[in-house]
Amino acid sequence: MSEPILALKGVTKSFGPIEVLHGVDFALRPGEVHALIGENGAGKSTTMKILAGYLSQTRGEIILDGKPIEFTGSDQVEDLGIIMIHQEFNLAEHLSVDQNVFLGRELKRGWRLDHRAMRTRTAELMSRLESRADPATPVSEISVPEKQMVEIAKALSRQARVLIMDEPTAVLTERETEVLFRQVERLRDEGVAILYTSHKLGEVKRIADRVTVLRDGIMVRSDLIDDVTEDDMATAMVGRELSDLYPPKSDRGAEPILEVSNVSVRGVVENASLTLHRGEVLGIGGLVGSGRTELAEAIAGLRPRTGTVMLKGQPLAAGQVAQAMKAGLVYLTEDRKGAGLLLEKSLRENLTLPLLKDFGRPLIDRKREEAALDRAIEDFAIKVPARNMAVGDLSGGNQQKLLLAKTLLSDPDVVIIDEPTRGIDIGTKQQVYNLIADLAAGGRSIIVISSEMPELIGLASRVVVMHAGRVAGELAGDAVTENGIVRLAMGMEQSGKENAA
Amino acid sequence: MSAESISNTGAARARKVDLRVIGPLVALVVLILIGVMLNPNFLSYSNVTNVLARSAFIGIIAIGMTFVITAGGLDLSVGSMAAFVAGLMIMAMNWLSVSMGDSVVVILLGIVLALGAGLAAGFINGILITRAGIEAFILTLGTMGIYRSLITWLADGGTLSLGSGLSSLYSPVYYGGILGLSWPIIVFALLAILGEIVMRHTAFGRHCAAIGSNEKVARYSSVHVQRVKLATYVLLGLSVGIAVVMYVPRLGSASATTGLLWELEAIAAVIIGGTLLKGGFGRVWGTVVGVLILSLISNLLNLTDFVSPYLNGAIQGVVIILAVVLQRNSGPAR
Amino acid sequence: MHKTLITATALTGLFASPLLAETIGVSIPAATHGWAGALNYHAERTIERLEAANPDLDFVLTTTSGPSQQVSDIEDMVATRNIDALVVLPFESEPLTAPIQRVADGGVWVTVVDRGLAQEGIEDLYVAGDNDSFGRTAGTYFAENLDDGAKVVVMRGIASEVDNERVAGFEAALEGSGIEVLAMDHGNWNRDTAFGLMQDYLSRFPEIDAVWAADDDMAVGALAAIEQAGRTGEMIVVGGAGMKEMVARIRDNDTTVPVDVTYPPAMISTAIEMTALGVSGAAPVSGEFIIASELITADNAEDFYFEDSPY
Repeated sequence: MSEPILALKGVTKSFGPIEVLHGVDFALRPGEVHALIGENGAGKSTTMKILAGYLSQTRGEIILDGKPIEFTGSDQVEDLGIIMIHQEFNLAEHLSVDQNVFLGRELKRGWRLDHRAMRTRTAELMSRLESRADPATPVSEISVPEKQMVEIAKALSRQARVLIMDEPTAVLTERETEVLFRQVERLRDEGVAILYTSHKLGEVKRIADRVTVLRDGIMVRSDLIDDVTEDDMATAMVGRELSDLYPPKSDRGAEPILEVSNVSVRGVVENASLTLHRGEVLGIGGLVGSGRTELAEAIAGLRPRTGTVMLKGQPLAAGQVAQAMKAGLVYLTEDRKGAGLLLEKSLRENLTLPLLKDFGRPLIDRKREEAALDRAIEDFAIKVPARNMAVGDLSGGNQQKLLLAKTLLSDPDVVIIDEPTRGIDIGTKQQVYNLIADLAAGGRSIIVISSEMPELIGLASRVVVMHAGRVAGELAGDAVTENGIVRLAMGMEQSGKENAA
Repeated sequence: MSAESISNTGAARARKVDLRVIGPLVALVVLILIGVMLNPNFLSYSNVTNVLARSAFIGIIAIGMTFVITAGGLDLSVGSMAAFVAGLMIMAMNWLSVSMGDSVVVILLGIVLALGAGLAAGFINGILITRAGIEAFILTLGTMGIYRSLITWLADGGTLSLGSGLSSLYSPVYYGGILGLSWPIIVFALLAILGEIVMRHTAFGRHCAAIGSNEKVARYSSVHVQRVKLATYVLLGLSVGIAVVMYVPRLGSASATTGLLWELEAIAAVIIGGTLLKGGFGRVWGTVVGVLILSLISNLLNLTDFVSPYLNGAIQGVVIILAVVLQRNSGPAR
Repeated sequence: MHKTLITATALTGLFASPLLAETIGVSIPAATHGWAGALNYHAERTIERLEAANPDLDFVLTTTSGPSQQVSDIEDMVATRNIDALVVLPFESEPLTAPIQRVADGGVWVTVVDRGLAQEGIEDLYVAGDNDSFGRTAGTYFAENLDDGAKVVVMRGIASEVDNERVAGFEAALEGSGIEVLAMDHGNWNRDTAFGLMQDYLSRFPEIDAVWAADDDMAVGALAAIEQAGRTGEMIVVGGAGMKEMVARIRDNDTTVPVDVTYPPAMISTAIEMTALGVSGAAPVSGEFIIASELITADNAEDFYFEDSPY
C-alpha cells in the first residue's frame, strides 16, 4: 500500500463549546478513490473543509507527504494541488463557462487575456465530460447538471494531486454520472488521490476503492470496498438496521383528479398529456433536460403554456400559480436553494410565505404562525438547533423537510414533487418516502419526478417517461422496471402504452 | 451544510442581530450628546420641533422608499417628482383660485391633485419596471431627468409661487399643529407607525422582504411578485404626494431646485436605518432614525462654528459611513 | 477698474439698417435657480426680438448644466453651425478658458458675460455684473444704518468664486464699523436650505439685528423662518439680485426688508445686443462693461419692478 499524500491524524473540531469531530483519522493515497459517507450532520463536510483548508482543526494534525503542515487558507491549499469541488456551486452566474473555468487563473498573452486559448481549453474539458454546454454561454443559462460539469471542468483544469468531491453526482443523471466516473477513473490511474462523498451507496460501491463511514463525528468503520456490502454501509451510517427503504404502495382510486392534455411550453415541452388519479403516486422519469421539470412548472402555473389542465374537472388558467394553489395543486421545486427557500430568513417566515393571508388579515397573527411551525417541526420531524435561525444554516435534509411542510401547508389535493430526495441522507430519504406514501393513503394524489430509478420504481405504481420534451411512454405495474424506464428515456422506444399492464 | 457548523453561524448571527438593532440608535444618541455639549439651545423646544418638521418631507418619502428597497427596487426620481408635483399643485391652485377665490375648497382640491399626481407618477415608474422590465435604476434615472425638466419648464426657469391669499390660508398646514406639535411632525409620526406595522405585521410587508430576498422563491411560493413590486412604487409615489402636501405650505413655492438630492437623502436614510440596499430586509423605524441622523448633522453644523462650512459634506459622509459600519461590522469578517 | 453703466434699451434704436447675415452662438447655464432662470428669460426674449427685427441674423442658444457640457456645446456650435460670434457665460472660469481661447483664435468674435476667464485678453467684449460691488453695497448699507455692535448673520451661496468675491466685498465694507458678524454658512442660493439655516441661526443666537442673504431666493427662505419663530421686527433682511417679490416689499415699505442690491440678469441682453452690433461692424464695440450693483430703496423701487419678468 502506497504512502498517503494527505492525512488527518486524531483531528477534532469544535465550534464554540460543541465538539463536532472527535478524533478522526483519515488518509488519501495516490491512485485511490476513498469514499467518505455518513448521514447529513455526521461531519463529512467539516472533514472535507479541514482537508481543503477552509476550516482549521481544533486538535490533531494534518499530514502532507509524511510531514505535519499548518494550512493557512484555501488559496495556499490550492497551490499545493489540493482541489475541492463544492456541492454548492461557486460559479459566477453572469460570466460565461470558460470565464468561470479560468476564474482567478486566466490565461494571458502579455497583459491581455487570451480568450481564444481559454475557450479552446474549456471546450476540450467540456467535451471530455461529454457536456454540450457551449463555453461562451453564461452560466446562468445552463442547466444544473451542466453547472456541476463546469465545476468539475474547473477542477480538471488544475493540476490536482488531491481531488475532494462533495457529492458531485447529487444533481447528475445516471448517464452523466457514468461520464464523471470515467474521468474519476482516469485521474485515479494518473495517480491522483480522490476523496468522494455521496448519498448514493450504489455509486460508492461502483467507484470507490475504500470507504470510510462517519457517524456523529466519529469514524465508525473504514474498509476496502470489496469487504463491505451496501447494507453494511447503510447500517453503519444509520447505526441501526434499515428496514425496507420503500413503504408499501397503496391502491389508487379510479377517479381521475388531474387531466393534462396537449400541454406545450415553447422550446421545451411538446404536446404532453397525462392523467393522475385520486390516491395515486405517479412517477415522471426521463433525463435531466427532457422537459420533466418544465412540464411540472407549466401545470403548476409557473410557466406560460398552451394546452389544457383540468383539476377536479375544472380548468386551471395558465401562468396563475396562486390560483393553482387555491384550487388545490402545488409544486415542490427541485431547486431548493434557488427557488424553494429564503435562505437568510427564519423557518417561520419560510413556512407561512405561500399562505400568509390565512394567518390573519390585515395583521399577521404571530402566534398562529408559531403554532404552525410547531406543528410542522413535529409532523415532519425537522431538527432545529435554534428556532429563529436562518434556514440556510439548516442541513440539506432538514431544509427539504421544511420545504415539504411549506408546500403542503395549503392542504393540497395534488402535489408535484420534483426530486424529493436530492442531496439528503438515507435516513431522511426514508422519512420522505413514508410521507409520500402517507399522503397517497390519505387520498391525496402525488406526482414524483426523479432522476433516481429505484426511487421511481419504489414509489410509483405508474411511471410516465419523457424524452426530448415529449411523453415517450408510460409504464405501469410490473412493467415499471429500470430497463423499461431507461429505454423510453433514451428515446429507444416511441410508444403509447404497449408496456402498460 | 453540516449540522455542526450551524451552532457556530447561528450564534454569530444572533450577535449580529443585536448590533444591527442598536447601530443607528447609538449613532443618534451620540449625535444628540454632542449637540447638547456644543450648544445649550440644542434640546430647546423650538430647535427640536424645527428639526423634526424639516425632517418630515424626506422622512415621509423615505418611509415609502423603505418598501421599494426592501423589495429589491430603487427609485431615484422622488426628488424631481416632488418638485414636479409641487409645481403642478401650485399652478392648479392658482388657476382654481381665479374662479373660486382663495377658499379652503381650492386647497383641498390642490391636496387631492398632489396625492393623485404622486400616485400616478409612482404607478408609471412601477408599471414600466414590472411590465416593461426596465431596470429600476435606469428607469427612475430617466424619470428623474424628465420631472426635473418639466418643473423647470413649468416654472419657466424661475419660481412658481402660490398666490398670497392661498398661501396664508394654507400655511397653517406646515406651521400650525396641536398639542405643541406641528402637523408635519404628526403626519410623519403617524405614517412611520403605520409603515412599521405594515412592514412587520402584514402579508404585504412580508412579501416585500421575500421578493427582495429571492424573487424566484417568492414567485414559486405563489406570491404575486409583479403586483407587490408595482404596489411599492405606487406607495412611494403616494408618499411623495403626502410630502408635497406638507411642503408647499412652508414657502408656498416650487422651483427647479426644489427637492434637489432628496432621492439620495431618502436612500441614505433608509440604508443608515439598517435596510439592506440589495433588498430582503427592511425596517421603517430604522429609516426614521436615519432621517433624524441626517437632519441632526446639518442642524449641528449650523449651530456651531466647529468646522469650516466647506467641510459640512465631509462630516455628513463620515457620520453616514460610521452609522452603517456600526451595524455591519460585528465579529470577524466573513 | 473702468466702470460703465449701460442701459440695454439705448441700443435698440441702432438697428435701423439691415445687418449682414451673421450667426451668433449663445451659451449660458441652464435655468436651475431663479437668477439663471431670469437670465434665460432675457436671453430668449432678446434673441426673439433681434431675429424678428433682422431676418438675416441667426442665433444658436444652448443651456448647459456643467462646464464639460458647455465645452462640448461650444465645440458643436463652431463645428456644425459655423458661428461668427459667441456670447458665453462660462460655467466656471478655469475649464472654459482654453476652449474659448481656441474659438477666439479661429477668428470668432467672443463676448464673455459675467464670469471672467482665467486669462486676460481672449475676449473682444466683456460684460459683467460686479460681485465685489454686490457685497460691498450691502455691507456699506449695514455700516451706515446699523448701530455700533450690531449683530449680523450671513447666508452664503454655493461655495464658488462668485460667492467669495461677494463675501470679500461685504467684509471689506464692514471693516471698522464695529458690526459683529456672528456666523457665515452656506445657504446654497436655495430657499429650502436657507429656511433650515435661518431656523438654526435663530435657535443659536438670541439676538440678531440683520441678515445678509447673498441672493433673494435665500432671503425668501430666511423671511419665512423668521416669521415662523415670531421674531419679525427684531431684524432686517437684505438679499440681492432684485427678485420682483423682494422689490415689491421694499416698495411697500416693509420694515423687515428695507433695501435690496441689484445684480441684473438683463446683462445678457446687453451682451447679445452689443455683440450683434460689434460683429456686424455697425458700430465700434469693444472693451469691458461692468455693471455695478445698485441699492434698491423704497424711493427707487418702482424703477426695478418688472411685472412680467419671471424673477
